[in-house]
Amino acid sequence: MSGLLQALVEGFLNPLLTPAHVLTLLALALYVGQQKGRGAALLVFALALAVGFLAIVLAIETTPARMVLLADAAALGVMVAVVWAPKPLVWLLAATAGAALALDSPPQAVTIAAAYTTIAGTAIGACAMLVVVATVASYANADWQRLGTRIIGSWIAASAILVLAVQLR
Amino acid sequence: MGGMREPEHSKIVHLIGGLLVAMTVLVGRPALAHIVDGSAAGGFLGGFAHPLFGLDHVVAMIAVGLWGAFLGQPAIWVLPIAFPLVMAFGGAIAILGVPVPGVEVGIALSAIVLGGMIALAARPPLIGAALIVAAFAIFHGHAHGAELPPGSDAVAFSVGFVMATGMLHLTGIAFGLLTRWPIGRIGVRAAGLAIALVGAAFLSKAV
Repeated sequence: MSGLLQALVEGFLNPLLTPAHVLTLLALALYVGQQKGRGAALLVFALALAVGFLAIVLAIETTPARMVLLADAAALGVMVAVVWAPKPLVWLLAATAGAALALDSPPQAVTIAAAYTTIAGTAIGACAMLVVVATVASYANADWQRLGTRIIGSWIAASAILVLAVQLR
Repeated sequence: MGGMREPEHSKIVHLIGGLLVAMTVLVGRPALAHIVDGSAAGGFLGGFAHPLFGLDHVVAMIAVGLWGAFLGQPAIWVLPIAFPLVMAFGGAIAILGVPVPGVEVGIALSAIVLGGMIALAARPPLIGAALIVAAFAIFHGHAHGAELPPGSDAVAFSVGFVMATGMLHLTGIAFGLLTRWPIGRIGVRAAGLAIALVGAAFLSKAV
């Protein structure tokens, strides 16, 4: 595997294998799938992701991105669990999630080209997971499927709240 | 109480099956995560095992699901959705150092009260049942929350911990489906009595 391809794969897997990223992406995707017609939140997420990666390219380093991601996961998880959907809040959460995920994914590469490739891989992986899960969740129309979505939302929120408390200790 | 209608039973079976599939997929994740982060798999498995090795916690969690199934709609769904959120609140205040008196007594009482409710086939209003379960969720969350490890695997630990708790609820709900049949109702009420007795044994040790 060439160096750039390896960098792309590593970047792609990063949001899929980092638990805090998975929680946030799952929560946002379940929300978008649950609330039909909220696909714009995905676009907001993608734009914010690009802005976050631009900030990394500009050498912005230490940020509380992990905390923001967990707070996003907690809020979105609660919103999925209680089926509460204020549109402006969702856009705000999608934007902060995108930017925070990017800022929490600095590439560990030895060359500039590999770093950019890793960033591209992360962006593709995060957006792909969002779209796939949101699409699957949008087909959850039976009563038991909608309830299952709400239960998973409560699990995501509970997990994120516990970790936030650990981080704030 | 009357047995559940066939469509409702079918819906519950579908949901439990779906969630078990989801859990299987998510439980499989740490094996992948282990490739890039050695602590994530251990964190998840540690969190998943944590609530399974305390009999007082296990019987109380199963009792929540059993009681929800006994109460029928909408309690059967409200309780498993609300419990993790309130439990997380209890865990958070423990992590932040806020003391809650009598945690072990509260946990033992949860088994006694919830088991007793099932044994007696008690059917309080939904708000009452939710408040009872929520109050006990704080004790359970507080007891577990203090043991969450700080550091990079805290997320995986928390996910495992919450999923195992949810699985215990689903186990209780699945067992509670037996209330469709007269003999099943007797079995479920007997299980409630057994849970209450386990709680009494823990209470005698805690006091």
